[in-house]
Amino acid sequence: MIVGRGNEAGARLFREWFDGLTRAAEEQRGAAYVFVMGSLAELLRVFDFPIVFPEINSLQAAVRRVAHEYLNEAENYGYSPDICGYVKADVATQLRGGQHPMGKIPKPALAVCTNACNTYIKWGEIWERMYGMPMFTLDIPGSRGAGLASPRGGEDFERDRRYIEGQLTELIALCERVSGKRFDIDKLREHMGWANAMSQGWARVLELNRSRPAVFNALSDGTIYLGVANGFRGAREGAAFFTDLVEEMSHKAFRGIGTATTEKWRLLFVGVPCYPIFRRFSELFSDWGGVFVNSTYLWFASGGANLGFTYDLARPLESLAEGILLGVRDAMDSMFFQTDALVHMLDDFAADGVVYHPIKSCRTVSTGLADSRRALMAARDVPSLFVESDMMDRRVVSEAQMKNRIDAFFEGLAARRHQALATA
Amino acid sequence: MAYAAGVDVGSTQTKAVVIDEARTIVGRALTDTGANVMRAAETAFQQALADGAIPEEEVEFVVGTGYGRYKVTFGNTQVTEISCHARGAVLMFPHTRTVLDMGGQDTKAIRVQPTGEIVDFCMNDKCAAGTGRFLGAAAVALDLPLADLGPTALRGERAVKISTTCTVFAESEVLSWLGKGKKIEDILLGVHESIAARSIGLLRRVGIENEVTFTGGVTKNQAMVETLNKRLGLTVNVGAESHYMGALGAALFALDRILGGRAPASRAAEGGAA
Amino acid sequence: MNAVFPEWRDQPLDELLYRSRELIEDTDFPTVRRWREQGGKVVGHFQVYFPEEIAHAGGLLPFKVRGAPVEPTQADSRFGSYLCSIIKTSLELALSKRVELDLFVTHPICDAARNLAGVWGRNAAYPCRILYLPQNPNSAFAAAYLRDEYDRVRRVCEAIAGRAITDDDLRRSLAVFNENRALLRRLYALRRERPWLLPADDAYVLLALGGVLPREEHNALLRTVLPLLDERAAPRQDKVRVVLEGGFCEQPPLDLLRAIARSCYVVDDDLLIGLRWLTSDVPADGDPLGALATAYLERSAHSPVQHDLRKPKDRMLLERLDEAKAQAAILMAAKMCEPGLEELVVHTRALDRRGVRYFVSEFEENMTSFDTLEIQLETFVENLLFD
Repeated sequence: MIVGRGNEAGARLFREWFDGLTRAAEEQRGAAYVFVMGSLAELLRVFDFPIVFPEINSLQAAVRRVAHEYLNEAENYGYSPDICGYVKADVATQLRGGQHPMGKIPKPALAVCTNACNTYIKWGEIWERMYGMPMFTLDIPGSRGAGLASPRGGEDFERDRRYIEGQLTELIALCERVSGKRFDIDKLREHMGWANAMSQGWARVLELNRSRPAVFNALSDGTIYLGVANGFRGAREGAAFFTDLVEEMSHKAFRGIGTATTEKWRLLFVGVPCYPIFRRFSELFSDWGGVFVNSTYLWFASGGANLGFTYDLARPLESLAEGILLGVRDAMDSMFFQTDALVHMLDDFAADGVVYHPIKSCRTVSTGLADSRRALMAARDVPSLFVESDMMDRRVVSEAQMKNRIDAFFEGLAARRHQALATA
Repeated sequence: MAYAAGVDVGSTQTKAVVIDEARTIVGRALTDTGANVMRAAETAFQQALADGAIPEEEVEFVVGTGYGRYKVTFGNTQVTEISCHARGAVLMFPHTRTVLDMGGQDTKAIRVQPTGEIVDFCMNDKCAAGTGRFLGAAAVALDLPLADLGPTALRGERAVKISTTCTVFAESEVLSWLGKGKKIEDILLGVHESIAARSIGLLRRVGIENEVTFTGGVTKNQAMVETLNKRLGLTVNVGAESHYMGALGAALFALDRILGGRAPASRAAEGGAA
Repeated sequence: MNAVFPEWRDQPLDELLYRSRELIEDTDFPTVRRWREQGGKVVGHFQVYFPEEIAHAGGLLPFKVRGAPVEPTQADSRFGSYLCSIIKTSLELALSKRVELDLFVTHPICDAARNLAGVWGRNAAYPCRILYLPQNPNSAFAAAYLRDEYDRVRRVCEAIAGRAITDDDLRRSLAVFNENRALLRRLYALRRERPWLLPADDAYVLLALGGVLPREEHNALLRTVLPLLDERAAPRQDKVRVVLEGGFCEQPPLDLLRAIARSCYVVDDDLLIGLRWLTSDVPADGDPLGALATAYLERSAHSPVQHDLRKPKDRMLLERLDEAKAQAAILMAAKMCEPGLEELVVHTRALDRRGVRYFVSEFEENMTSFDTLEIQLETFVENLLFD
C-alpha cells in the first residue's frame, strides 16, 4: 500500500534509531551530539558515531506530553523559564542519565554545532562542563544583509567556503582523536552520496506539494519526513526512505490523491510547530479544511536540504564545505530575510493564507517574525494569522485562545472568498 | 418578518441582541454569566426577546459568540467575537477602519475593510495590563467602586507614571504612590494612561487607521475615552450600544444566513446545534 | 570638525562628571546630532564589539547602539513577546529619529541581535549589515577569515564615506584607539586600587562617553579627568569590593548603578565591555586589518556571547575576581537575555565551588524602581560585612 507508506516508514525508522541509541547508551558508547541546522552527519558517520539530535529528543518529549516534567527539573536546577525549552528538556535528560520517553540517550563523546543558532553554542558549553567533552563550533558566515548572499563561485563566497573547508579539516582531526578511527575519504563519499539522494528527494517532495490537492500536510506529515531528513542524513536508510517517498508523493500527485483533509484552504506555515498539543494544533486548521502546503520550518530545520544541493563526490571536502555554506546560509536567510522567499512560495504553491507561529523559546525564529509579516503584507495582499505559543512549554500554550484566533482567521478567509465570488 | 439573534457569552457578562431584517435592534439584554454558562445564554436570549416583545418562533437564526460560544446550545452556529466585534462596529459607525475592544478580561485590536472584512487583528488575553482588569486591580487597591475610577481620574492633572507591567504588582505600586503623597486623581489618571498605552501598542500592531471605534465594557469610562483620544490624536467613536457590539455582530452574521437562504425551515426542527 | 562636546572643558571634576552624566542620559544623543550638523556621517554599531577603527579611518563617527531608557512605542509592534528590551529600544532610536545613521551594523552575539539586521534593514533607508565575527576563534583559519571580513567592513565604510580608506588611515586610527584603550585601562586600574575615588556610576559615564563621542574628544577628556580623579578628596569607606558581571549588552540604568554604589565598591565589571574589548595595544605597523583581526582573536576580553575554548567563562569570572581583589560578585542578567540567563547558571556554580558569595538579579534598561533590589542588595552586603 503506497499511500501512507512514508508516514509508517518514518515512524518505524525513528523507533529503530532510538532503539539503536538505547543500545549505544547501555554499551556506554559516546555519541556525536548534533543539530538540525548543519548536522555534519555525512562526516560524523565516517567515524561510526551514534548520532544524537538533542533538538529532536526534546520535541519528542513535548509530543509525548512529558515536556513539563523535564522543564521543571531544568528550572529547579537553575535555568530561567525564559530560555529555550529544547535546551532545558535536554539538561533534564542529562540529569536523568539519558532517560527519555523514546529510550535511553547515550552521553556525548563530542558535540558539533554551527552558529546558525547562537543557542546551539551555549548548549554545547553546557555539555562541555557536564562531561568535559570537546565541542566543535563550525562557523558558517551567513548573509551579511537582505539580498546579499554572495553568489557561488564569487570571491566573497570562496573566502567563506575556504574558511569552512579549513574548519572541516580541523573537525576531522578532532573526530579521529575522539573516535580512535582514521578518516576514510571513500566512506565520506558514500555518505555524501546518500545525502545527495536525500536532498534531491526532499526538494522533489516539497515541490510535489504544488499539486492540487496537496499530497502531504507540511505541518503534520512534514514533521515526520523532516525527522528522517535530519536523523538519517547521509545514511543508506535515509536515501532509501526519500526514494520511496518521492515515489509515493508522485503517485499521489498523478492520481490527485490529497491528504486526509478535504482541502478547502491552502496555507503556508512560518515558525516552529506547537509540539505540546501537536495533533490538536494541526486539527485546529484541518477542521476548517486548512492544509499546510509548505512551511519555512521544512527549510531551515532541514539545514537547507530543501535546496537539493548535490555534492560533487570528486571533490568531497571542497564540495561538503560548499554545500554546508549554501544550506546553512539559506536556512538562516529563511528566518531573517524571508520576504522574497515567502512571496515566491505564495505564488508557487497557490496559497490562500500564511500562518505565522512565533514561539517563546526560539528567538532565532521568532524575533523578526512580526516585522517580516508586515513586509509580506505590504508586498502581497494575502491574509495572514499571527499566533504565539511555544514548541515545548505547555504553560504558554492556550488551546482556547489559539482556537479563537484561528477561527477568526478562517472566518476572514471565508468572507474574502465570498466577497471575491460576489464581485466576480 | 424574520428576526436574527446574537448571543455574546463573555467571561463576566452575557449579552443578547435581536435584530430585524432592516438591521434595527429590536431587543437587547445583559446578564451576569456566572457559573452556569448555558443558563446565562438562555436567560439573556429570553430577556432580549421579552425586551422587544418578539415571539421566539420568529427568530430564524441564532449565532453564539464570545468565549462561551459553544455553550449557546440553542444557537445555530458560532462565530468568533473578533469577527463579531468588527461587524458590529462597522454597522454602528460605517467609517470604522479600526476597532479597539476593551473587555473585562481581554483587549482586541482589529483593522477592517470598509466592508467589515477583517484585515488584521491582535489580542491581549494573556496579560491583564492593558485590559479592564487593571482597572479592577486599581479599584481594589484604592478601595473604590469601579464606577468611580473614571470620574476620579478625570480630575487628575499630572498623571503618575505607572511602571509596573503586571497587574499583580499594580496594587502595590498604586499604594506605594499614595504613600509617597501623590494624589489619588493623579494616580488613577496614570493607571488610565498605562492601560491606554498598552492598548495603543496593540492597535499599532494592526495599524491605526481613522476612524477608530472603541467598544466593550470600558467605553462607559469617560476618562479612558479621553485618554485614548489624547494619545491617538483623534476622536474615537463610542456608541451607546458599545456593550452589545459583539452580540450585534453575531446577530448580523445570523441575518446573513437568513437572507442567504441558509436558515433552516424551522429552528425547532433543527433542534439547535452545539 | 568642531568638538561635539565642548561643555566639559575647563570644568572642575564634579561639574565635568555632572555634564557627562547629562549627556549619557540624554536620549536625544545631542553629540551625534552635532556631528551630523557639521556634515559628518555616523556608523551605528550594536553590541558587543565592533572594530570602530575601520569606520573612524573613513572619517565616520562610530556610535555605540546600546538601547536607551525610552518607551519603544513604534518599535514594539515590529517585534513579538519574550524579547529583551535593548533590541526594541535600539530600533526605537532609529524609528523615532532620535538618531540618524548612515550605516547600521550588528553582530551574531545572539539570535535576537542577528534578527535585528533584518528588521532594521526593512525599516531604514540606509544599509544594515551583519558583521560575522567568528564564533570559532580557535580555528587556525579564523584570522584569515576575519581579516577578509574586516576588509568587507572597510569596503562598506568606503562607500559611505565616499573615499578610500587606506592602510595609513587605519594606522592613524589604531593609534587613536590604542590611546583610548590605554586611558580606559588606567581608569579601571585607578578604580581597582582606590575605588572610593570613582563610584560605579561615574566610572560608567566616563566609559560610555566613548560610544557617543569622537574618540579624540574622549581621549582628551580622559587625559584631563585621570589626574583630577587622582587628586580627588573622597573619604575611604568600609565598603565591600565587588565585581559586577552581566552588563555586556543591555545596560542597567544609571540609577541602578548608583544604588549599587551606595552599598558597594564596584572594582571591576563587564559594562560596555565592547568598548574595552581589546586588552592591549594593536600594533600599528604592518597590515592594520590583519593586526586588528589578530587582536580580536588573541588579546581580547570575554563575554557570554563569545565562545572561545581558551576563555571558559567560569574561569574568566574567577580570574576577574582575583585580579580585582573582590570579595563578592553581583551577577545580573537582562530580562529575556538568553545567553545572559544561561551564563548565570555557569557563574553561580563556579562561585559556589569556590565559596565566593554573590548576589543575583535580573534587570531591565528602563526599570525605574529599585526599592526591592536595593533592600536585597543591602541585606546581602550586611551579611558579608558582618561575617
